[in-house]
Amino acid sequence: MNELEILEQAIFLKERKEPAALATIIVKKGSVPRNLGSKMIIMRDGKIIGTIGGGCGEGEVIERAFDVIDTGIPCKHTVDLTKGLFYEDGGICGGIFEVFIEPLTVNKE
Amino acid sequence: MLCPNLLQNMKTALAKQKATALVTITSHFDPMFIGKKFLVWEDGHFNNEPELEIIYASFKDLYLSLIQKQKTKCIRSMINEQEVECFVEIYLPRPQLIIAGGGHVCEPVVQMASLLGYYITVVDDRSEFARKERFPLADEVICAGYLDYFQKCPLTNHTWILLLTRGHQFDVMSLQELLKRMETPAYIGMIGSRRRIAGVFEQLKQEFPATAFDSIYTPVGLDIGAESPAEIAVSIFAEMLMVKNNKSGDSLSQETRHLAKLGFRGGKSE
Repeated sequence: MNELEILEQAIFLKERKEPAALATIIVKKGSVPRNLGSKMIIMRDGKIIGTIGGGCGEGEVIERAFDVIDTGIPCKHTVDLTKGLFYEDGGICGGIFEVFIEPLTVNKE
Repeated sequence: MLCPNLLQNMKTALAKQKATALVTITSHFDPMFIGKKFLVWEDGHFNNEPELEIIYASFKDLYLSLIQKQKTKCIRSMINEQEVECFVEIYLPRPQLIIAGGGHVCEPVVQMASLLGYYITVVDDRSEFARKERFPLADEVICAGYLDYFQKCPLTNHTWILLLTRGHQFDVMSLQELLKRMETPAYIGMIGSRRRIAGVFEQLKQEFPATAFDSIYTPVGLDIGAESPAEIAVSIFAEMLMVKNNKSGDSLSQETRHLAKLGFRGGKSE
């Protein structure tokens, strides 16, 4: 799925008022799995659409996205993949990237 | 904010082959601005909210230079002595691939082009070859003479062209028409043996300036020993990606092979 298709999905979810957030890679340094502008939609039930890099840091972005969905306040989050440069850790990318997370629909419980 | 009419404006512009910058405000002294979005094109802009005008106006030159460089980037600048950060994403129109010659090489080329997301046009002057059933994945299949077609077809820097006709003389004719055009496509690949091509270039050199040949790749493809039509298609698209991304076309392992032998710490002794 390309980034334009992810934006289309985001609009679709927003119109259905599904609690969700959109995360976009806005800064990267060193070797990271995906390019600037790569996007991922995070739904409140934990489902994701698109990817910003698979195992490399996606988990912590999903956690932050839940806060964004609950509060409605956008945030920036930095993922540091330079620690644990060993294959066994899974995170072998060795760079840093920054993600902007914005709410699509706020979770009102 | 992301909203339906913003996305619709973006899609309409891309369908008209216009590169589009989607700007998101990612940091601002007034938190109300964070997450707001607008669009910028070389010939204008679009936004839903009048208060975004000042940000557009303050950064306009930066946006335009990023559109020209086709570069997605996070930029920071001062407005009223306060820092504002914008993420500028460049969306490019779907590139068009025009394939002249609907023969056996064209078939895997169309298949692979479809995987890679091109808008695919196949042209052949023989009606039995220029049939949509032969190329179900092509967006358009046109039966036309090559001369006529290349005199008039739309050309932009997002147009990629492959000359794969049944006879070398048709490729050369098409090439001559393309070189006469004012617009320059991203890439022209022409199939053919080295010996025949050398002769063609001797002839074209007298008609056209040397710079006219910069976007011509012939024989087409990377040197991977491709023989079958499918292998030739791989070699052609490898070359097209190399051109698009301005890369060497070398094996990625080349740089790291000696490092691997020294151990994965990059040869540092400990």
